[in-house]
Amino acid sequence: MQAVLSLKKYLKPYVAFALIAPLLMVLEVSMDLVQPTIMQHIIDRGIAAGDTSYVVKMFGLMILCAIIGLIGGAGCSIYASKTAINFAADIRQELYETITYFSNKNKDHFTLGKLITNITSDVEMLQRALTMLLKVFVRGPLTFMGAILIVFLTARELFPILLVVVPILAIAIIYFSKISGKMFLKVQEAVDAVNTRVQENLAGIRVIKAYNRKQHQIEQFTAVNGALMRRNIHAEQIIGILMPLTVFVVNMGIIAALWLGAIKVENDTIEVGMILAFINYLMMIMGGLMSSTHVLMLIARAVPSANRIDAVLKEKSEIHNNEQPFTGSIKGAVTFENVSFAYNKNSEPVLKNISFKANAGETIGIIGMTGSGKTTIVQLIPRLYDADQGVIKIDDRPIEQYDLQALRAAIGYAPQKATLFSRTIEENVKYGDESASLEELIEALESSCALEFVEKFEDKAQYTVAQGAANLSGGQKQRLAMARAFIRKPAILILDDTTSAVDSISESKIQNAIKENFKDSTKFIISSKVSSIRHADKILVLDDGEIVGQGTHDELLEANPAYQEIVSTQLVRGGTLNE
Amino acid sequence: MNKPGARPAGPRPVGRHPGPRFNGPAEKAKNQKATLDRIWTYLKNQRFGLISSVVFVILSSTLSLLGPLMIGIIIDEHILTGDVEGAIRMTLVLAGIYIVAAAFAWLQTFVMIRVAQNTINQLRQHLFEQFQSLPISFFDKRQQGDLMSRMTNDIENLNAALSQSVIQIVSTVLTVVGTGIAMFALNGVLAVVTLLVIPIIIWSTKQIIKRSSKNFVARQRDLGNLNGFIEETVSNANITTLFGKEQKTIEQFKEANEKLRASALKADIASGFLGPINNFINNLGIGLVIGVGAFMAIGGYGVTVGVIASFVTYTRQFFRPINQLSNLLNTFQSAVAGAERVFEILDEQREAADVPNAISKDHYDGEVEFQNVRFYYQKSKPVLHDLTFHAKAGETIALVGPTGSGKTSIIQLINRFYDVQHGEIKIDGQNIAKYKIENLRGHIGVVLQDTYLFSGTIRENIRYGKLQATDEEVEHAAKIAYAHNFIKYLPQGYDTILVSGGMNLSQGQRQLIAIARAILEDPDILILDEATSSVDTMTEVQIQKGLHNLMKGRTSFVIAHRLKTIENADQILVIKDGCILEQGNHDSLMARNGFYSSLQHELQVQ
Repeated sequence: MQAVLSLKKYLKPYVAFALIAPLLMVLEVSMDLVQPTIMQHIIDRGIAAGDTSYVVKMFGLMILCAIIGLIGGAGCSIYASKTAINFAADIRQELYETITYFSNKNKDHFTLGKLITNITSDVEMLQRALTMLLKVFVRGPLTFMGAILIVFLTARELFPILLVVVPILAIAIIYFSKISGKMFLKVQEAVDAVNTRVQENLAGIRVIKAYNRKQHQIEQFTAVNGALMRRNIHAEQIIGILMPLTVFVVNMGIIAALWLGAIKVENDTIEVGMILAFINYLMMIMGGLMSSTHVLMLIARAVPSANRIDAVLKEKSEIHNNEQPFTGSIKGAVTFENVSFAYNKNSEPVLKNISFKANAGETIGIIGMTGSGKTTIVQLIPRLYDADQGVIKIDDRPIEQYDLQALRAAIGYAPQKATLFSRTIEENVKYGDESASLEELIEALESSCALEFVEKFEDKAQYTVAQGAANLSGGQKQRLAMARAFIRKPAILILDDTTSAVDSISESKIQNAIKENFKDSTKFIISSKVSSIRHADKILVLDDGEIVGQGTHDELLEANPAYQEIVSTQLVRGGTLNE
Repeated sequence: MNKPGARPAGPRPVGRHPGPRFNGPAEKAKNQKATLDRIWTYLKNQRFGLISSVVFVILSSTLSLLGPLMIGIIIDEHILTGDVEGAIRMTLVLAGIYIVAAAFAWLQTFVMIRVAQNTINQLRQHLFEQFQSLPISFFDKRQQGDLMSRMTNDIENLNAALSQSVIQIVSTVLTVVGTGIAMFALNGVLAVVTLLVIPIIIWSTKQIIKRSSKNFVARQRDLGNLNGFIEETVSNANITTLFGKEQKTIEQFKEANEKLRASALKADIASGFLGPINNFINNLGIGLVIGVGAFMAIGGYGVTVGVIASFVTYTRQFFRPINQLSNLLNTFQSAVAGAERVFEILDEQREAADVPNAISKDHYDGEVEFQNVRFYYQKSKPVLHDLTFHAKAGETIALVGPTGSGKTSIIQLINRFYDVQHGEIKIDGQNIAKYKIENLRGHIGVVLQDTYLFSGTIRENIRYGKLQATDEEVEHAAKIAYAHNFIKYLPQGYDTILVSGGMNLSQGQRQLIAIARAILEDPDILILDEATSSVDTMTEVQIQKGLHNLMKGRTSFVIAHRLKTIENADQILVIKDGCILEQGNHDSLMARNGFYSSLQHELQVQ
């Protein structure tokens, strides 16, 4: 609930709309509520007395009421939509901005998949709930209570019937809503089980076929499929009682009204029109009660969405600029001094006491097993994360003192996972530097050995990359991601295992291009292959978050057992062939 | 964005007013008639339930129609005449009718849910079994998400239509027709006055749908664009940060967001009129009935207070179903379209059947021969040209070559994931098409590059290689595969629960389990497709040991990156552009000074 209140501020600009909408709804509902009473008067005073002019007057009033109701309803609908859609659009914008400025720690905390859900379906959910809140939630209870009140005021003789019927209805509806929630939770579990099975069978179809496990899979599926059917039947059959039951209770109310009415009309305590009006109000009460429960459930489901959104909006980005950031130029000397880092406060540190120095223009190779912390080291340089302990300096100045934009602008980073956007190749590469000229674009593509395949496309650099770069091979993606880093002509170039899917001939071409074109840049090259880093000025050998060796290839080969072991598994007998 | 599948099933809103809601134009089936016929073949098995359900609907609808009529009679003949006893007697009759009507209404739901669920269950089962029977080429062509959504969304839509819409359509039509007849029987003039409203309903609904359809299409388009943008930029958020493009992306987002704001407003406002207008028409209709009825009553045209009462109640029953009808038809239509998509899969060609008198063997020696094999996935792009080679029983054959050269195609042919278009493949001197496909695959073990593990325990996953294996056998296989070492350190050991795909293990660990699975299967022929790529070198040393044990004494086909595996092979086939470029063992190929030796050389000098 707290979260719902704190999202209130996004309603502020539209508070007038949000107030007008329910007010207009009140208009519609009161017009609905007046109608049976007018009818009662037409019957009891107009028809009974044969008073035509009275009937004309009342008939006119009825049509007028209908029109006023229409205006109220339509107006409410307009303003409710305006409120909810604007509210949702504003929250979406705010969410997106917040997420865009999140540090990696923030993102890890929420996970990207969940953030996407927050900004799409959670916002959608909130919008729908707000629309319903402004429209139906006013309408339902108001109709319900209004009808009861009018019966109490104008048809008190029949009011006792409501004292019996309304509680029964309320209890039945609340009870069934409750068990339906529980039952459909069970159905949902069964649905999930079926979906998991199907999904696994589609993903693992090769294994299933290779092992001939068709029958086995079908048997497993038959079991979950049967369970789903049984739970569904059980749930729906019980929920199916509600509708006939409520109609039945209301009908019994009508019976009571006729019975009691017959006696009272005989006694001349009431007139026949009142019975008719009462029957109409009874139907309204049922409708009002039902739609209120429906909206209540929708709102209940929106609360978790609101909570999630609120949690994201409240999250502060951990990484931001200093008061007076340094914006001077960056040469690219990088020093790590006793740097330690853990992704989580409670978890094992990923980096322990890392110290090394990279002079401007040097090439640093980083090698080690999966999970040894190679990527983490280079992620600290553009401040995707901040170190927990120790100091990282660029040109002898702690990186926290640099302006974040300026720091990152000095770095060309090609990450391990070569992600591209669904735009043209040119746009993707120029993402690194929008002001780059055509020559510079071609130069970058050439350096990354991408030009050869780009030229083969009919549209050349205007070739559009599909969503998830599905129309490019792994090697092609990596080359474009490198070109995007190259085009920045950065002081610090970081290549995180970017040639794993590039064939060895192209790889050596790329290595040569880097050597020639980025003489002054400090280069960090991560790889699990010795061949990619053996010519580095300095190689860092990482094991379990620690540097277990640093030096040139020859130095390490001579004296470092960890490096020797890696080399022995790769170069001497088991290098990587082709690709 | 929208991940296909998994639309949450419930809780369904209880007692939702089936009021008019509009969700954009419904999708239509291409061949509605044929699809309906086919749905009927499924429903036919439930004929008894279906018929009784329809009978119950007819009974409960008819009985409910009697209600308003009786109310009128009670008012006119008993209450207004002061006949209290008669009134009570009649109300008791009415109460009886209501009880029976309620009972029938419930029975109808009770039976229909059973019918619908049984049908859906059967259809789901058929679809699943069809998935199991389709050839690999089908799965290579289709997107997994699309297939998933047929199993979930499409079948769920059909379920909704069967369990609700069908009966509702019947009862709606019955109510409308019945009410119409009752009204005319009571008073023709008043009935005509009431029915005058219907054209207004139809006209206004059409107008609104016409307008909002356009707006909905625009809104859907903008929403799709925005969600696509969110999906891409948020999943690639690292790139945005690294390249300092935060401000720019936010601006682009804003543009898309504002577009959606505008089109969503238009669409919502247009469709939002549907509710109030219907409410207005209801009130107008009732107003007309009462007004005109009152004039006629005063003027003495045979209208009594009771008739007015009946008419008012009928009118309330009358308009709501009409409002609903277009909505119901929409649901129904999209359900048929969904069913058509399901049937489309059911009609796909199944995997090739075994030839008559297909051979089954207990043991294959493992002699494999390719003779002039030609193969393509698409006719215009041949993958293998006239491939010929011979693997003796027990040999290890390494396949080497650049991506796309056809290595994987070769091994997919051996276990008949695909069949050749020309030439033949022989195992133990027999064309492989002569063997029972199940028998053949049962004797070929496969370890793939990124092998799939199912959710369940590690033990179950290893046992997948031989379903009746004992716990000892499972552990023994794991030991041979060098998987036991890491499994025993897991908190739950062999009972550790894996998530789908085994994603809670590292890739190397998954690979070791896959190898253990293959060991347990004890195949006669073994296929290893890049079983050790993208595993770091230390882990690879472990896997190599496991693989070495596995390959002993079996004909093995190995696609590998690392030289170590390849160097020890009996035969190395260097594949390029679908042809065998070079063939021989490591030493003879090195001596030839060809493609293979140049690759080797290049690695050494680096």
